[in-house]
Amino acid sequence: MAEANQQGCLFVGEGVVLKGNFEVPDIASISGVVEGEITAKQVIIEATGVVRGKLSGESVDIRGEVNEYISSTRSLIIRSTGKVSGSINYSEIEIEKGGHLHGELHNLNPHS
Amino acid sequence: MSIFSKNSNSQNNPEQDMQEQPDNFSQSNVPEEVDFEPAEQNFRSEAPVRSSINSKPSILSEGFVFEGTIVSDGVLNISGTVRGTVTAKSVLIDSTGQVDGELNTENLVIKGNLKGDVNCDDLNVGPLAHVSGNINYKYIHIQRGGKISGKFNKN
Repeated sequence: MAEANQQGCLFVGEGVVLKGNFEVPDIASISGVVEGEITAKQVIIEATGVVRGKLSGESVDIRGEVNEYISSTRSLIIRSTGKVSGSINYSEIEIEKGGHLHGELHNLNPHS
Repeated sequence: MSIFSKNSNSQNNPEQDMQEQPDNFSQSNVPEEVDFEPAEQNFRSEAPVRSSINSKPSILSEGFVFEGTIVSDGVLNISGTVRGTVTAKSVLIDSTGQVDGELNTENLVIKGNLKGDVNCDDLNVGPLAHVSGNINYKYIHIQRGGKISGKFNKN
C-alpha cells in the first residue's frame, strides 16, 4: 500500500535505531527501534519494531513492542505478537489472542 | 493403601491391621522404609480428587438480580445482574448480563457489562461489551469494538 506512494511516509528498517520526535503526515512503519515520539496518520509497528516513548495516530497496528504511551483516534489493533505497556487511549480497540497488555486503558469516547 | 498394607503385612507381621502401621513402619528395615514413603504419598495425592466438575451450567436469567457471593466449581452463565463477588471455574456474562464487583475465574467471556476487579486466566471480550476495572489476566482477546478501560495486568 505505502510502497506505491511513499510521500509523507517513514520507514524504519530492522536494526535501525532512531532517536527523536517524528511528525509523519501519512504512514510510519517501524521495524527497528525508535526512542522518542512518533505522530503519524497511520502507524504500523512490525514484529521486530520497538518504540520507547510516545505513539500517536489515527490507526495504530502493533505487532512489536510499545512502551509508555499510545493514543489512537480511530482504531488500535494489538496483534498476537504485540506487547504494549503504559497508558493507552483509544476509540476502537482489538487485541488478538496472545497480545500483551500491561497498563491503563482509556476509552476516548466512552459513551458511543 | 491396600497395596501398602499387603506389603508390610507379608514381610513383617501378618496380624497387624492398618491402624498399627506406624509401629510396623518403625520396626521395619531400611529398604522397606524406602518402599513405604512413595506408597503413602501416592495415596495422599489421589485422595482429594473429587468428581465435582458439573457439566451443567448455573444460569442467572435476564431480569434476575443477585446481591452477594457466588461460588461455583462449574460454569456460570450470567444474563441478569450480579452485585458482589463471583468465583467460578468458567463465567459467561451474556449481552444482557451485568456484574458489579469482584470476579475470580479461569475462563471469562464478556458480552455484557462488567465493573470491578477481575482475576482470570483466559479473558475474552466481545464486540459489544463494556468492561472497566482492574483486570489481571494470563491470556487476553478483545474483539473489535469492545469498550474496555482500567488497569490491565498480565500474570
